[in-house]
Amino acid sequence: LRAALLFAPADLTEQELALQAEVRSFLAEELPRGTFTPGLGMAAPRDPAFSAKLASRGWLGMALPARYGGHDRSAVDRFVVSEELLRWGAPVGYHWVADRQSGPMINRFGSEEQKQRFLPAICRGELSFAIGMSEPEAGSDLASVRTRAVRVDGGWLVNGTKVWTSRAHESDWFVVLCRTSEVSDDRRAGLSQLIVDLRSDGLTIAAIQVLSGHREFNEVVLEDVFVPDALVLGEIGAGWAQNTSELAYERGGPERWLSTYLVVEELMRSRPELASGERARLVLGEAVARWWALRRLSLSVARMIDSGAAPAAQSALVKEMGTRFEQDVLSCVLGLAALEPVADASSPFERLLFEAILSAPSFTIRGGTNEILRSVASKGLAAL
Amino acid sequence: MSDWLLTDGARRLLADTCTYEAVQAAEADGWCATVWDPMYRAGYASLSDLPLDDALALLTVAGEHAAPVPLAEAALAGWLLQEPVEGTVSVAASTELRLDSGGLSGSAARVPWGHAVERVVAVVDGQAVVVARASAARVERHVNLAGEPRDTLVFERAEPQVIAPAACDLRERGALTRVALMAGALAAMARLTVDYAGERRQFGRPIAAFQAVQQHLVSIAQDAALASAAAAGAARVPGAFEIAAAKALASRAALTATRAAHQVHGAMGMTREYRLHHLSRRLWAWRSEYGDEQHWAQQLGRAVAAAGAENLYASITGGSTAI
Repeated sequence: LRAALLFAPADLTEQELALQAEVRSFLAEELPRGTFTPGLGMAAPRDPAFSAKLASRGWLGMALPARYGGHDRSAVDRFVVSEELLRWGAPVGYHWVADRQSGPMINRFGSEEQKQRFLPAICRGELSFAIGMSEPEAGSDLASVRTRAVRVDGGWLVNGTKVWTSRAHESDWFVVLCRTSEVSDDRRAGLSQLIVDLRSDGLTIAAIQVLSGHREFNEVVLEDVFVPDALVLGEIGAGWAQNTSELAYERGGPERWLSTYLVVEELMRSRPELASGERARLVLGEAVARWWALRRLSLSVARMIDSGAAPAAQSALVKEMGTRFEQDVLSCVLGLAALEPVADASSPFERLLFEAILSAPSFTIRGGTNEILRSVASKGLAAL
Repeated sequence: MSDWLLTDGARRLLADTCTYEAVQAAEADGWCATVWDPMYRAGYASLSDLPLDDALALLTVAGEHAAPVPLAEAALAGWLLQEPVEGTVSVAASTELRLDSGGLSGSAARVPWGHAVERVVAVVDGQAVVVARASAARVERHVNLAGEPRDTLVFERAEPQVIAPAACDLRERGALTRVALMAGALAAMARLTVDYAGERRQFGRPIAAFQAVQQHLVSIAQDAALASAAAAGAARVPGAFEIAAAKALASRAALTATRAAHQVHGAMGMTREYRLHHLSRRLWAWRSEYGDEQHWAQQLGRAVAAAGAENLYASITGGSTAI
């Protein structure tokens, strides 16, 4: 058996197809094309009002328990809703991180008090989360985090710097991976996760300027930030294992192969003459074939999660090829459309293309670089 | 979901019979009774009677073992006629064939194992015509990239044994058989290459310890996973969309994965004595049979472009049920 090669065939059931149809008609009614500015997959804008509408449909925190405001549904149901939102370019920015990983993490490792405090609000679309993993000296090598929490009366005093924290300036909380005991021979020991209020005293947020000019990434500096014991997530010292499982939620989903989908759809919509030549047909056929098969693999990962498995190797395998494909799609479109993109173009196609060019390098970096993912996947290829 | 007992039985049978030596001998002899006869006796040649996904799962097992036998042709003949054909059978498709009151005439190139089979099902103007080969055709022997017979059969007023409407589209179903075979060969090639990289030592450690080599191993696994997903999807809904997408992907994967697998194997992979070539040469052959990646991507792209932007995502999720 080689885990990285095991993907059970996955198709949607009648109920799941009905959910898909429901989401499609919701989007056509609530968010008709031309009435909003679509985004590129999970980088789409934040819109708390839209997130609240999704919540009222029961589409946030879908796989969380009903007793915490969730809906006791499956990872596949969440997959179905997510893929429709992403391919529509819907504004998922406000709830994305909370719905995808912070909520499931709190449900899995959190205390009863934490679950009651955070999960219902996440499910109502009233809380947004950011990710507190990366640091200046800890990118791919997360075990080298230097942010440190020291025991004080009633809690922990946290000092350190987190970087690349998407939307920290407009989110409510973030889960911070930090060191709670000295570095030992096992670098993965002594790490813990804390749920930290982004408005805490001693916490400052500064924008990191990125090449696109967008305000997206932040540096979050924690100086003697007090975190009460009640906000320690899971076990002190178990942060590495918990964080690894958090990464599994981050990987293998439709956001890893849909980031440039809308560029193609908009090309077909607004420049049909570019999308119908012989070369365009070849590009389109290759892309659609790959979306079709990647989607089946990604769906298979969601089914594995529902069956209680931990498909880390498969998720890494899918994310690695999905994100490269997102970049390939863009290159192919650029090959078809002899354009000189300008900012703030009036056509959605040109605007998305402009954004995609400037953000594409991040596709194969965010959530684990492709080099790290290959290493994770390759461990799953050895015979068990 | 395919029948596990069925595929497991075939896998065990082929593990016993379809050895390195048997595949080598088949290439020299042009026929492989040591593999075919036990498969035929066990009933596997009647695979067209099985549910489609089971039949394709059997072909995937055959692909894993590089089985040098016309199992795909048995399936195609059975699907064309809606019943399995007795004995050994192959399939001929050519625009140069014609059928009139005098019988079947014309030539068909690249007929798999044409020189060796008892019967040939020729497809002429949408009709499946069964002819007995031995008495009816002049044979020019050729082989494909894998050394498997792909003969030219020349018919002159051959008497048809059966004439029936062709019950399936040979080009689509033929492509589907190649997708299933390639999915199997790619999975086997992924395992073989991972094992080799774990055993082969250079600079004092297994070459699998080098990240540059690991990248090749992962890309082969990705190609194998994509081809498997494509084969499973097309087996479930064998529509025009799914077959075109699956063959385009599997053919593309065959090119990229063989390249990476050969790179990992180094010079060893170029030798006849090591079995990588049983898989890689078949992948190169199956890649182009019944249409290569460009052909099918073009077909698919034409259909998707015609359906328009509003139906693009529905086609990705729904395939031929959507467009």
